[in-house]
Amino acid sequence: MHEMAIARSILDIAIAATEKEGAQRITRVNVVVGELRGIVPLQLTFCFGLLAENTIASGAHLNFEITPVQGRCGKCDETFLVEDYRYICPKCHGADIQTVGGTELRLRDIEVE
Amino acid sequence: MKISVMTDILEANDRIAAVNREIFDSHRNLVINLMSSPGAGKTSLLERTGDALRGKLRLGVIAGDIETTRDAERLERYQLPVVQLTTGTACHLDANMIASALPHLDLSQIDVLIIENVGNLVCPAEFRVGEDFKVMILSVAEGDEKPLKYPLMFRESALLLINKIDLLQHTNFNLEEAKANARRVNPDLEIMDISCTTGQGIEDWISWLSQRYQRKFGET
Repeated sequence: MHEMAIARSILDIAIAATEKEGAQRITRVNVVVGELRGIVPLQLTFCFGLLAENTIASGAHLNFEITPVQGRCGKCDETFLVEDYRYICPKCHGADIQTVGGTELRLRDIEVE
Repeated sequence: MKISVMTDILEANDRIAAVNREIFDSHRNLVINLMSSPGAGKTSLLERTGDALRGKLRLGVIAGDIETTRDAERLERYQLPVVQLTTGTACHLDANMIASALPHLDLSQIDVLIIENVGNLVCPAEFRVGEDFKVMILSVAEGDEKPLKYPLMFRESALLLINKIDLLQHTNFNLEEAKANARRVNPDLEIMDISCTTGQGIEDWISWLSQRYQRKFGET
């Protein structure tokens, strides 16, 4: 249940950013979550809603942008979607693959009133 | 109104982890974040490691457990510096918990510090604590498909120890399949077969630790 700790961090960052701008209420929080992070959106939404009660984020909608796993081939520089964890370059069949997408865990922006 | 934030959600944790890392570096500690599911053999590995490192490198342990202090009690007879962190409901250790343990350890008397994370294949992989390497244990009693079910931990680890290898013949665990699955998730992953019961592979694990220590500090 790392979702609770992650929800806490999202809320802390969002509230700090909102207060800095002098806004009164958070209506929506947009996060970018990589497929590799093993985050369950439903659980994260539940934890966030619970923690947000009685704060300026109470009732705010948590929106997810899920990013797929992406690899870049160290041999031919091809960037491709890694499906089913097959870290093999589709172009040159090289196996020296660096993960360049799918591990994100970022708060992108917040919508406030 | 929209406020652009673009912040790593775990930034606060990572900042504390970086401070921990500086403290470890200044005390010449090689720090391993040891992760696995419950019962895979983390404490058994520490017992073996305590014995095998004696006279070579000085081992210290931070042991995370949800409720009990049993792991620390098991390690007591090895006369190692051990701090037990009881996490309550938390299913993982984070950088702040490790920071809170540091005043209870004399880091200048430790060469290799192993942080025994809470038994869990998901959450511990998310949180940096200031380690040099993440190492994970998978036991043959668990199943060869685990790397595909829990990719982040396999992805984050530098070394995978496949434990209870002495039980292999009694299980339907396909060793080659497990390794292939792990390498699909992390092609750079080093893999060793070990048994904390028979001692098989423990020497390889000890040389891995010694090499990493040498690479970090240039001597033993």
